[in-house]
Amino acid sequence: MSGLRFVNEKAVGTSVLPDEARPLLDGEARFLNDIAFPGMYHVAFLRSQHAHALLRGVDTSRAKAHPGVIKVLTGRDLHGKVEPFRSMPNRFSGGQSVQDWLAVEKVRFVGEAICAVVAEDRATAEDAIELIEVDYEPLTPVTNPRDGEKDDAPRIHDTCVNNYLIKREYERGDVDAAFASAHLTVRRGFRIGRKQALCLEGRGCVAAFRRDGFELSMWMSHQLPYVVRHYLARHLGMAENQVRVVAPQTGGGFGQKASIYPEEFVCAWLARLLRRPVKWVEDRLENMVASTHAREQDIELELAVDAQGHILALRSNIWVDVGAYSTYLWSAGMEPLQTGGLMPGPYKVPALRYLTRGVATNKTPVGPYRAVGRPSASASLELLLDETAHRLGIDPVEIRRRNLIDQDEMPYRNANNLVHDNVGYVPCLQMALSKAGYDQLRAAQGQAPAGKLRGIGVACFAELTGLGTSTPVGPGTLLQPGRDAVTLRLETTGTLTIAAALPSQGQRIATAMRQVAADELGISMDDISCLTNDTGMAPYGFGTFASRTAVFGSGAVIQAAAEMRRRILALAAFLLDEPVENLTISSSVVHTLDRGKTLSLRDMAEHSFFSAKDIPQDLNQGFEVTSFYDPKHGSFAAGAHVVVVDVDPDTGAVEIVRYVAAEDVGRLINPAVVEGQIIGGIAQGVGEALLEELVYDEQGQPRTVTLADYLVPSALEVPNIELHHANTPSGALGGFKGCGEGSIIGALGGIACAVADALRQRGGDIHDFPASPERVLRGLGVALDDAG
Amino acid sequence: MAREQSITLTVNGREYTRTVTVRTSLADFLRDHLHLTGTHTGCEHGVCGACTVSLNGRSARSCLTLAVQADGGDVVTIEGLRDDEGEWSPVQKAFFENFAVQCGFCTPGFLITAIELLRGNPDPSEEEIREYLSGNICRCSGYQAIIKAVQAAAAAARGQE
Ligand code: FES
Ligand code: FES
Repeated sequence: MSGLRFVNEKAVGTSVLPDEARPLLDGEARFLNDIAFPGMYHVAFLRSQHAHALLRGVDTSRAKAHPGVIKVLTGRDLHGKVEPFRSMPNRFSGGQSVQDWLAVEKVRFVGEAICAVVAEDRATAEDAIELIEVDYEPLTPVTNPRDGEKDDAPRIHDTCVNNYLIKREYERGDVDAAFASAHLTVRRGFRIGRKQALCLEGRGCVAAFRRDGFELSMWMSHQLPYVVRHYLARHLGMAENQVRVVAPQTGGGFGQKASIYPEEFVCAWLARLLRRPVKWVEDRLENMVASTHAREQDIELELAVDAQGHILALRSNIWVDVGAYSTYLWSAGMEPLQTGGLMPGPYKVPALRYLTRGVATNKTPVGPYRAVGRPSASASLELLLDETAHRLGIDPVEIRRRNLIDQDEMPYRNANNLVHDNVGYVPCLQMALSKAGYDQLRAAQGQAPAGKLRGIGVACFAELTGLGTSTPVGPGTLLQPGRDAVTLRLETTGTLTIAAALPSQGQRIATAMRQVAADELGISMDDISCLTNDTGMAPYGFGTFASRTAVFGSGAVIQAAAEMRRRILALAAFLLDEPVENLTISSSVVHTLDRGKTLSLRDMAEHSFFSAKDIPQDLNQGFEVTSFYDPKHGSFAAGAHVVVVDVDPDTGAVEIVRYVAAEDVGRLINPAVVEGQIIGGIAQGVGEALLEELVYDEQGQPRTVTLADYLVPSALEVPNIELHHANTPSGALGGFKGCGEGSIIGALGGIACAVADALRQRGGDIHDFPASPERVLRGLGVALDDAG
Repeated sequence: MAREQSITLTVNGREYTRTVTVRTSLADFLRDHLHLTGTHTGCEHGVCGACTVSLNGRSARSCLTLAVQADGGDVVTIEGLRDDEGEWSPVQKAFFENFAVQCGFCTPGFLITAIELLRGNPDPSEEEIREYLSGNICRCSGYQAIIKAVQAAAAAARGQE
């Protein structure tokens, strides 16, 4: 069934102003750090100074004696009392990593938590941290995956041979035959640095324990409250129904707040031990080393094409530096498996082979960050397509046109076994090219400002969103978060409450669900409120990640609303003495089609609850409906970005002078919100392509631990973005797709191609990103040397 | 015991006298002592701008300012931006209407900075806005909606809505 079946289409498709934003504009929103309880203690963590070392001794005596200190907890204190984080089994697992909440025998990255100090206030806890003495026996660190996989490399985990946390070889189609018979084969390297989601608000929690109601209440800056609840119960040995998790107002997530980390679990344990609320709020310096990193990939890839540039086969060899532990829940497979598996993107690839590895190193673990694995998968192939087009003497756009999956070829199963349908790759490309005036841009490419090299990049991408149960979020993982629920409740005053465990970190999920419910039920938006963040009230749900939330929330609202509407109309038919077919609902009033008789939802709901005596029971089942939605498969979103840069060959500076994006994100619920998501993703892509990199030295010491070292884009670096829509409705209920992640994929590819295009004019090229001034100059210099 | 000092200052039009340790930052003072938690700290080392407040009419990073430095001063935070009738300032209104708030953690700093910009320059160009706001990081929005909001607020204040 197509999803386009709205009753009174008004709210969906309109940029409804989000009431959720009001408290944020008044300074009244309650973020994690704004929560306080009487008698609350504060926690600070002592973190490893070494990348790789044995812990010979931890002397906490001076810290314990410090005035105001309540408790000092070491790894040994916890050992045997709680279940450590064992990496999730994966079909492609190498060895297993076991992460103690506080290190016991060995530390494996700078920033790993060793001790927790509980004190009456935060400053005292931090002072006491300084008084703990740790006796380290340093070990040789592993700081890059190519060295780490060697047979004689130090082993980070006993069970990880060659430090492989993940390794997968995949082949489909006859790759060797395709390469043997190809008209041309082109090979390239691509490297991308280590990143940080850099939520403006770090992680944090308040844990409170009491034998009254929920034993453990956790307020936690997190994207997946129910998942946290499940694992808290499991690791602490508690009954799950005694645990409540609330995600308060959250200052950015981007995947970094979708993993499970030790610190919050230590706090829960401490709250239970001490019978006092405890609070921990990560500061920025901690966040830079203790919250998951992302990317850091080294890729070699090779393309076989025929004389017209049609792709015959793609093969790649991928090394991902996944850090010291397999990120809890998601596993170390996130980046390596998705980069390998999703590299074909929107292009027809008849034969595919990849060998991908996640190699453990002595760095902060790598976890999910916006568009996991796909930016590098896409950008590496986009750059390779440009080089191939160059060698064939055709325009970069032409090679894309010849290889994109076209509408009339869908459904199309690609060599990575994914089926493309209801998505417009070619329409996006055409829209982006025409809006950008691509031909004129090319014609005028030589007329860059004096002394500048102008580059034009075009990138096309596919982004799988809203994954249902049939499509795992990562190949080989046990986690299949393919369903979510909402509960709709008509209150006795006739207002509607939507409850779901789909927290928002600024995506305005509540507004979106209210819009959908308003249209489905004929209830005014002002009469609808939405709770998205509290396991104490919401039905089960996986939470917010992987461009899924609007798809699942809306789909579940549509399903639940159908039943709610049936119940409302059945009761109204009885009360009004009219046939059901003769009734409808609009503006929160049930009325006959000729509006001769009316019954407000308020009167009906009040009547049904407070004076139900005269109503037959089968018509009064209560106005609370829960519905689970599973779209089964995912929906491909798409986009094409055209980027124009000017490169200064003297300084290596790159300036983005024009940015045009055309996106297919399905049917829009709230266009202004969607645009904010897409433009925000592009801005992060600007950082990814040009600025952001976490640097480590050979000893495994991080060199970028402040915002002065790790450069995120400001309003000066992000250009004005010309955004256009080329939307094709998805097959999911409502025709919706996810829109949170795609644009960062296109941004890395588009900017990378534009920079390479600029350098190519002087015979240069670039393989390492971000394209810092040094790398740009090197890209030009190497070429000059070669030319000489 | 950390050294303490008594300070008196005006915050959002109200006078407060409190005793603080001398190492307490203005941000912590506002948040922990006065419970004005609308001011956020995103880095506590002076880069992100989330903690920006107005101190004696000029924007200041409250994470790098000590509370004792604000002794005798006049502070305005996000909680003090509504006018005497309780209406949003033009900048707040424009941020709302232009979808310039996503997670909202950066918002207090942007509001204070944008109001300061418009006070000195009622009709800034896009370049001037970008330049003036370049000391504030927003990780969510890509800045475009914020810039549109500042332009809209400027237009509204000039009476050409
Ligand atoms: S918290 Fe003050 S500038 Fe970041
Ligand atoms: S809205 Fe999230 S940091 Fe600006």
